[in-house]
Amino acid sequence: MPLLTVTELTKNFGGLRAVAGFSFTVEPGEILGLIGPNGAGKTTVFNLITGFLHPTSGHIFLDGRSVVGLRPHAVTRRGIARTFQLVKPFPKLSARENVTLAAFIHESSRRRAESAAGQILERVGLVEKLDSPAADLTLSEQKRLEIARALATRPQLLLLDEPMGGLNPREVDEASTLVKRIRADGVSIVLVEHVMKAIMRISDRVVVIHHGEKIADGAPDRVVQDPTVIAAYLGGRVA
Amino acid sequence: MTRAAAVAVVLLLMLAPPLVTSNQFLLHLGITVLLWTLLGASWNLLGGFGGQVSFGHATFFGVGAYATMILYLRLGLAPWYGMVLGGVAAVAVSLPIGLICFRLRGPYFSLSTLAVAEIVRLIALNWEALTNGPVGLLITTLPRVALGARAINWESKVPFYYIIAALAVLAMAATWWLSRARLGAYLLAIREDEDAAEAVGIDTVRAKVLTLALSAFFTGLAGGFYGLYFRYVDPDAVFPIALSVEMVFIAVVGGLATVIGPVIGAVFLTTIGELFRERFLVGHLIFYGLFMMLAIRFLPEGIWGGARRVWTGRR
Repeated sequence: MPLLTVTELTKNFGGLRAVAGFSFTVEPGEILGLIGPNGAGKTTVFNLITGFLHPTSGHIFLDGRSVVGLRPHAVTRRGIARTFQLVKPFPKLSARENVTLAAFIHESSRRRAESAAGQILERVGLVEKLDSPAADLTLSEQKRLEIARALATRPQLLLLDEPMGGLNPREVDEASTLVKRIRADGVSIVLVEHVMKAIMRISDRVVVIHHGEKIADGAPDRVVQDPTVIAAYLGGRVA
Repeated sequence: MTRAAAVAVVLLLMLAPPLVTSNQFLLHLGITVLLWTLLGASWNLLGGFGGQVSFGHATFFGVGAYATMILYLRLGLAPWYGMVLGGVAAVAVSLPIGLICFRLRGPYFSLSTLAVAEIVRLIALNWEALTNGPVGLLITTLPRVALGARAINWESKVPFYYIIAALAVLAMAATWWLSRARLGAYLLAIREDEDAAEAVGIDTVRAKVLTLALSAFFTGLAGGFYGLYFRYVDPDAVFPIALSVEMVFIAVVGGLATVIGPVIGAVFLTTIGELFRERFLVGHLIFYGLFMMLAIRFLPEGIWGGARRVWTGRR
């Protein structure tokens, strides 16, 4: 059974149909790349799955249980964590405190929550920045901090919204390694990204969204050759 | 060790004045400072930790004050229980207010609390059957309370001093507790970024409503104390916007989300308020306002926050 099943997901904003009958699945242990031109509806899909927006119609199941209608914190507690396209760290709090807050939902003792936070920050390579305020970290570090914070909620599924956007090539490589390591630890991942080289290399499967609809779904090397996908990106018509 | 010593010094400074002086004016000034400390600390629980700037806390003060007075005058309930029930009444009022106002964020939340507070003030002014309207409620005598063999003398200010000092210490203890508790950590997350807080699994509405209730409880207790100390309440005295604003000032000037900040804020604003009133008579509020502007401009973390930064920076 798939870990996540999304069927016929639709979201209207007034007269605008941002997501239109969009269906896809995520298998346990999979890295799924979700790509599409700007404004295609990728972030809207994330917001719908995580409860920040409510769908106009359609279904979302995690492990066979519906998560539609839950508030974001409840979705997180069910096992879906996310990061944000524009990073949202807790700026005045230290890196350790940022992650400790998230660990608190499973650990009532501060000492245990802090030690869990320390371990996770080590995993994402932020161990030297434990006591720095999040606002003082570089963009790359803030993105890793957000991933650490999401991991502290012990997710089954992690939704990463452009974890490589704005990073230099070396940082992109580091982020790719990190994503693969997280999957190796048993967390399934949906990745929204514009850095094509990276997403093609680390995704097991790629879903392409355009104008809120799915136009392709398959192995990365097959999807890039799909004429519909090429047309969507280059703005032309399918011959 | 230094921490324990600091706590002892603060407690001593708060509790000692009646032992040192019997000057009625000084004791009254002490009671005023402690009442403002209690109010600043109550507001600070939600505003300082959670970053939810309420401009409507006078509501809880007024509800606490009226509940205490009405329970005593109409039902003959001893005001010492009544004061606690005043806090409970404030909690009861806080729940619907929280559920309404917390749908909004930032400045919109602040404006909605201001609006609700005005609504409640107008209700108190017009519901004459319950509140006696603009005439207010007056207590002539307080019931006898025996302390050992002697009865407490309610004509003296000393017993009131100790009651308000105990309440202020209690509110500061609650602040300390919140700074260590999980709820306090959740509030910091909410203050920093509400969406991110939800994303890490924090029920932000629940955390805010709970904290508002705690904050309202202490504010309601303060209102009950006010009623008993002055033995008179009317809507203009216990529901004004100025009261809500003053609570914000004390917490901000003292230092947000700190245990000691509200004491410092209350001492400063009470003494400066008195000094300006004496010096400038009619124009005193202009200077008071100017002082507030300077304080917020140059000490955005408050007096205690600024002092702490200088201190840790030097070490």
